[in-house]
Amino acid sequence: MVNCSLCEKPAVYINRISGKAYCKKHFLEYFDKKVRRTIRKYKMFGPKEHIVIAVSGGKDSLSLLHYMVKLSKRVPRWKISALLIDEGIKGYREYTKEDFIRVCKELGVEYKIASFKEYFGYTLDEIVMVGREKKLPYQPCSYCGVFRRYLLNKVAREMGATVLATAHNLDDIVQTFMMNIINNNWDKIIRLAPVTGPLDHPKFVKRVKPFYEILEKETTLYSLLNNLYPKFVECPYARFNIRWMIRRQINELEEKYPGTKYSLLRSLLRIISILEKHKDEVIQGEIKTCKICGEPSAHEVCRACLYRYELGIMNDEDRKKIEEVMK
Amino acid sequence: MIEVVVIRIVDGSKEWKISIGQERIKVRELLEKIGLLSNEYVVVKNGQVVSEEEIVNDDDEIVLYPVVSGG
Ligand code: SF4
Ligand SMILES: [Zn+2]
Ligand SMILES: [Zn+2]
Repeated sequence: MVNCSLCEKPAVYINRISGKAYCKKHFLEYFDKKVRRTIRKYKMFGPKEHIVIAVSGGKDSLSLLHYMVKLSKRVPRWKISALLIDEGIKGYREYTKEDFIRVCKELGVEYKIASFKEYFGYTLDEIVMVGREKKLPYQPCSYCGVFRRYLLNKVAREMGATVLATAHNLDDIVQTFMMNIINNNWDKIIRLAPVTGPLDHPKFVKRVKPFYEILEKETTLYSLLNNLYPKFVECPYARFNIRWMIRRQINELEEKYPGTKYSLLRSLLRIISILEKHKDEVIQGEIKTCKICGEPSAHEVCRACLYRYELGIMNDEDRKKIEEVMK
Repeated sequence: MIEVVVIRIVDGSKEWKISIGQERIKVRELLEKIGLLSNEYVVVKNGQVVSEEEIVNDDDEIVLYPVVSGG
């Protein structure tokens, strides 16, 4: 049996870089220290905040919610709320939504659910079908990501959030980094910083990623040890995503060369600081306000409105406005 | 009767039965034998969460909790 390096109890986790083993109690302490260090290092929160946690109902976001509610007990002027975006993915989201509501009630935290259906008139399943009929060149995850990010910002702002926290972990971040290198998307790489947002546009809610330096294996273990691990359901669209393959490649490297993910993260932070100095070259023009919906946007018309237009799921008035702008 | 290690994914989607015999084998090596990476699973052996360096014997029951999830 492998024992904890600190107390000799049975180990539940080994940090393969330091070689240290942790029992349940010492793993949770290690986890807490690591997250608090991340929060401090990147100055994620001030003493008075309304923190809205973006929760999907998956293990990572439930862990973040659980962790932040516990941490907030020590900070009197923090308010925590949870926000779930219901994309409308049959056979998946209805299950994670149940877990979400249960955990929110257990933790006694206020929550809100905002759905694609109520804001855009269509579920993601319907959108994907329309997109396929119209032979649009987009993958399900593209619509999903654009519309979800759009709603997260808009609804969090309407809830009065001073900061929006997402559960992206170290694995997510380095996978997205690799995907964006492959696609030559340097503007998106800048947005992979641990803290992004508020200065660029008044309608952008500041965004933070408290699990930025936490491995997905660690968030999973946290969820398991706190009874938050959901019935394992997977989004039916996940395998259409190139992320699936990149993740496997990075995990194979990590298995052979522990520390690979941290190295990638250091490279990412370095390149972000270099890119920040050349912002004009990377990001074309200022952040604008979408002429159709009034939300912050990189272009005259935001991605969400453009998708709605291409899908033909937009009202006539907005459609005419877009055609006017694009003339 | 041949004694075996039973390994399964928690949602019941896959199951393996492997005989180890006298070999001293670690969780990490066992997963490697069936083509899995230890950093993609949290491993529960006979009801206890264990690290990937834990020794496995015939007769053990292993449940794997996937770390990677979609969406
Ligand atoms: S896997 Fe793709 S479609 Fe499914 S929830 Fe994630 S981003 Fe959306
Ligand atoms: Zn210990
Ligand atoms: Zn718009």
